[in-house]
Amino acid sequence: MIRFEQVGKRYPNGHVGLHELSFQVRHGEFLFVTGHSGAGKSTLLRLLLAMERPTSGRLLLAGQDLSSITTAQIPFLRRQIGVVFQNHQLLFDRSVFDNVALPLRILGLGKDEIARRTLIALERVSLQDKVEGFPSDLSTGQQQRVGIARAVVHQPALLLADEPTGNLDPRLAAEIMGVFEDINRLGTTVLIASHDLALIARMRHRLLTLQRGRLISDGEAA
Amino acid sequence: MSDSNLPEPRPSERVGALPRAEAKGTEPDFATLLVSWLDSHRGSLVDGLRRLGRQPLGSFLTCLAMAVALSLPMGLSLLLDDIARLGGSWQRAAQISLFTTLDVDDAAGERLRARIAALPEVAEAEWIGRERGLEEFQRQSGLGEALRGLSENPLPGVILVTPRAIDKAGLEALRLQLEDFSGVQLAQLDLLWVERLGAILALGERFVFGLSVLLVLALLLVIGNTIRLHIENRRSEIEVIKLVGGTDGYVRRPFLYMGTLYGCGAGLLAWLVLVYGIDWLNAAVVRLAGLYGSDFALAGIPLEDGLSLLLGAVLLGYVGAWLAVARHLSELAPR
Repeated sequence: MIRFEQVGKRYPNGHVGLHELSFQVRHGEFLFVTGHSGAGKSTLLRLLLAMERPTSGRLLLAGQDLSSITTAQIPFLRRQIGVVFQNHQLLFDRSVFDNVALPLRILGLGKDEIARRTLIALERVSLQDKVEGFPSDLSTGQQQRVGIARAVVHQPALLLADEPTGNLDPRLAAEIMGVFEDINRLGTTVLIASHDLALIARMRHRLLTLQRGRLISDGEAA
Repeated sequence: MSDSNLPEPRPSERVGALPRAEAKGTEPDFATLLVSWLDSHRGSLVDGLRRLGRQPLGSFLTCLAMAVALSLPMGLSLLLDDIARLGGSWQRAAQISLFTTLDVDDAAGERLRARIAALPEVAEAEWIGRERGLEEFQRQSGLGEALRGLSENPLPGVILVTPRAIDKAGLEALRLQLEDFSGVQLAQLDLLWVERLGAILALGERFVFGLSVLLVLALLLVIGNTIRLHIENRRSEIEVIKLVGGTDGYVRRPFLYMGTLYGCGAGLLAWLVLVYGIDWLNAAVVRLAGLYGSDFALAGIPLEDGLSLLLGAVLLGYVGAWLAVARHLSELAPR
């Protein structure tokens, strides 16, 4: 599903974000990407979201070369990807329902279908009783779950998460990871960037370790 | 998802959190997409109204600033129309006076008038006989007593010719043509007056045009800056929308509605300002005109001009918002 072929990313100021990175991710996999700050985790996610383009190599997502994707194609690519952020990126002037329903509105689904899928997504993260609430009324963990519901409501093929448990205590972090595993079991490929090695070790999934933009290990977390 | 080329797989082709069987049959058909699109437009309109309503004073002042900029050239243009009307119509200012020979009596004068009125270049022709001319001259000149002492009427008959066209060359050609008519002694055309009036009005029109261009630019800047502030306030929302697959058109839509709403508000305010401004000015104009024995009054703002003003304001709001969003859209990439 994802194929990095000698992918490099060099910024205009000379900083190298990624250095000839090569790996593949199969459909339905669950994997972590870890590394210290500046290792290239976020760059990798930004490349997958077409927020940036590789400066060398080829990056294929579902057969599409993201190095040559046109600007007009990017929104349609992103509609197949769900994203979860450390800081949730919720819209605080909209209800929980409206936050989660946003990707479906962009897709142009009908009202009934939007309501149905939004409620399913909120049930999946156990927030069905918060439909009419606002993000400011929720705890940090609940806000993160709203972010996850929004990321999966449109049934993306790929779910990306950038430090999704960074602000959470260990119990909440484990709970959120459980939600990701549930989503993965239903067929969504999940790629999580995290530096929480203890949490990653408990999960026992494939782990890519980056260091200064290079892939230094690829195997199951131990 | 297949490994074929993207970009837009059908929802039933996506592999995701929901089982495929559940996803099937839920992909939007054309009617659903259309309803959703209309719903999105309605949502953007309502959202725009709500956002303007949240800051009533700020929104009102923005509309008022735009309204002032709109009403200035429009008001001046209306004033120019009134000045043109006050100075007499173009055709009236360009009347040709035909002085007949003294042997042309009323019957001959009427026949001559009819022949001239039949010319395609002539809109209207009026015969003023010698006796009527003398009476009017006695009344208007204040020389009644002196003129009554004359043994015979020295004034010739006059035919006042109103031409259809008012271009200088055409008027001069018509004057020469009329001068050749039998019984016509002199054909007189006050072209200088026509030229002066035309030059004054052309200057006024040019001034209004220049002012309009400047104020339209100022309006675009006002609306552009206002929309830029709205964009800044909604930056995080825009970033999220782009990250979940919102197109530039989707991002642009609410701001275009805001620009249109600002334009609409400004157009209505400008219309009101002009209606009340002209009405307020008209009282003084009527009083002044009355002192000169005239019933002149300002014409006010015709409905079609008011509607044009409103439409123009709405268009300016839309274009200003479009330019502002186009300029800032590239800066709105998710960070």
